[in-house]
Amino acid sequence: MTVPTGGAAQAAPPTISVEGLSHSFTDPQTRKTVHALDDVNLEILPGDFVTVVGPSGCGKTTLLNILAGFIRPSAGKAFVNGRAIERPGADRGVVFQELAILPWRTVYRNIAHGLEIQGVAKPEIDERVNRMTSLVGLEGFEGHYPHQLSGGMRQRVAVARTWVSDPEIILMDEPFAAVDAMTRLTLQEELNDLTVRTGKTVFFITHSVEEAVFLGDRVMALSARPGRIKEEVHVPVPRAERSWERMSHDEALQDTVEHVLSLVRGEAVEPTGQDG
Amino acid sequence: MVKPASTTTATGKDLGAVRAAQSESPGLFGVAGLSSVIRALLPFVVAILAWWAIWAVLDPPEIILVSPASVFGSFIDSIAEGALPTFIARSLARLGIGTLIAIGLGVPMGWLLGLDEDVAQAAEPIMRFFNAVSGIAWLPAMIIWFGFTETTIQAVIVYTMLFPVAFNAMIGVRTIPKRYRDACRTMGAGTLRIIRDVYMPGSFPSVMTGLRLGIGFGWRALIAGEFVVGTTAGGGLGFFIFDARTQGVIGKVMAGMIVLGVLWLLMDRLILRPIEETINVKWGAVSA
Ligand SMILES: Nc1ncnc2c1ncn2[C@@H]1O[C@H](COP(=O)(O)OP(=O)(O)OP(=O)(O)O)[C@@H](O)[C@H]1O
Ligand SMILES: [Mg+2]
Repeated sequence: MTVPTGGAAQAAPPTISVEGLSHSFTDPQTRKTVHALDDVNLEILPGDFVTVVGPSGCGKTTLLNILAGFIRPSAGKAFVNGRAIERPGADRGVVFQELAILPWRTVYRNIAHGLEIQGVAKPEIDERVNRMTSLVGLEGFEGHYPHQLSGGMRQRVAVARTWVSDPEIILMDEPFAAVDAMTRLTLQEELNDLTVRTGKTVFFITHSVEEAVFLGDRVMALSARPGRIKEEVHVPVPRAERSWERMSHDEALQDTVEHVLSLVRGEAVEPTGQDG
Repeated sequence: MVKPASTTTATGKDLGAVRAAQSESPGLFGVAGLSSVIRALLPFVVAILAWWAIWAVLDPPEIILVSPASVFGSFIDSIAEGALPTFIARSLARLGIGTLIAIGLGVPMGWLLGLDEDVAQAAEPIMRFFNAVSGIAWLPAMIIWFGFTETTIQAVIVYTMLFPVAFNAMIGVRTIPKRYRDACRTMGAGTLRIIRDVYMPGSFPSVMTGLRLGIGFGWRALIAGEFVVGTTAGGGLGFFIFDARTQGVIGKVMAGMIVLGVLWLLMDRLILRPIEETINVKWGAVSA
């Protein structure tokens, strides 16, 4: 890992940096304003895996949409490799909260889509898509349409499609939310392996505190709307050494989960009483 | 086990199979167990029998109503003369040409309007307006502009088909989830690429629905157009029916009407519906 040791001059520039970011949505009819994000500051270094947790509606997806280039923030700035983000780009792959794989394309053609757009030659597309399908365990389903797949398999297609183009940064919005608990455990371990091996920079939104701790180098806990970064929690065990096996009895990891839970719980529940 | 009855003529053995199926799932009239083809044909048989019965009981003068057998005779005669086949071919050709023109104009028009949400919203009322003013209502104006000509008939068909086709193409583009477009943008796709990979295929089921509707409306407009303009514009099935009326031959009129209905059923069942269903299944609109 390239951990910067020297002064600021030698430090690797952040892959993503966000400064004083705020965003409000204004309903064009009612003129009502929803304040979604408030003064968010964030730096993600190359190879960082940052997870984001926070109560529903606190602005997680909004933040991701700003990083992806779909939304211009009302105030503040977001940069990728030092350049202000202005529009979506192939350097930032996105796995959407509601999967956006195309229903009329087969598994193969969905995964190949990004490469087709980039004009990669057929034989290379073939090779990369095949490698990807076996990596995410979709061999034998290349010719299936999304409606013929289970929810978990569709999630894999969505991840594979983003991954195969090898974007520098991957933005993921609750990609495993619709999967059953067993499959989710497998997908999370697979994703951990994949990111450790490829050293990708990942921004990962989730509702699950355990998932956030299991996958992230750092967990960002957001407050209720308007979302502010309440605390950035460093996860003490290197990602390469993680497994659900270890999660279940490593005290440091358990403590981290507890800590993040307490942060999130304080936000999600009105102060009417303790929540189990 | 019920299948064979639908593909072969009803021999004693098949009827046995049908009866066996009936007793398995009786239903009110015992039709549930019949093969779909027989089930679809049964009402026609009943209708013909009813017609026959009415004719036999009332014994009306030949100028009012004739027997099914007599209509069938007129049908055979008209085919033998060669008039009916020629006219059918002419009507189908008009419909075919009209369809091609309506697709060529309507689909791109709908796509363009659908691309921009504001444009689509602005266009919707007038599209609905023109959709409602049916092609036949334009016939007098068309006759003034183009005379009693082929052009008039063709213009009426194209007009009639254009709006359902364009309207549904527009709706098709508008109702594609925005996230498909966004996903393609994150993969580096430009506008043209998104039109090609998302809007065109994504609107296909809707385009097909519009086409099926349009062809149905167009077929009716065509017959009406041929009633009025067919004499000088080279006939057609509508002209055949209208001309038989002039001659006062009810048998021929009814034969023409039946051909009209049967042709539509065949087109719809054998061509349009299968295409639409295939698309819907492939696009996941049905079994998802
Ligand atoms: N396009 C939009 N127009 C208006 N308001 C919006 C828009 N998108 C989001 N919002 C509002 O902004 C707030 C934050 O939404 P966002 O989708 O970012 O939440 P989230 O943290 O991702 O929630 P969840 O965990 O439920 O996915 C919500 O109150 C939402 O209603
Ligand atoms: Mg969200």
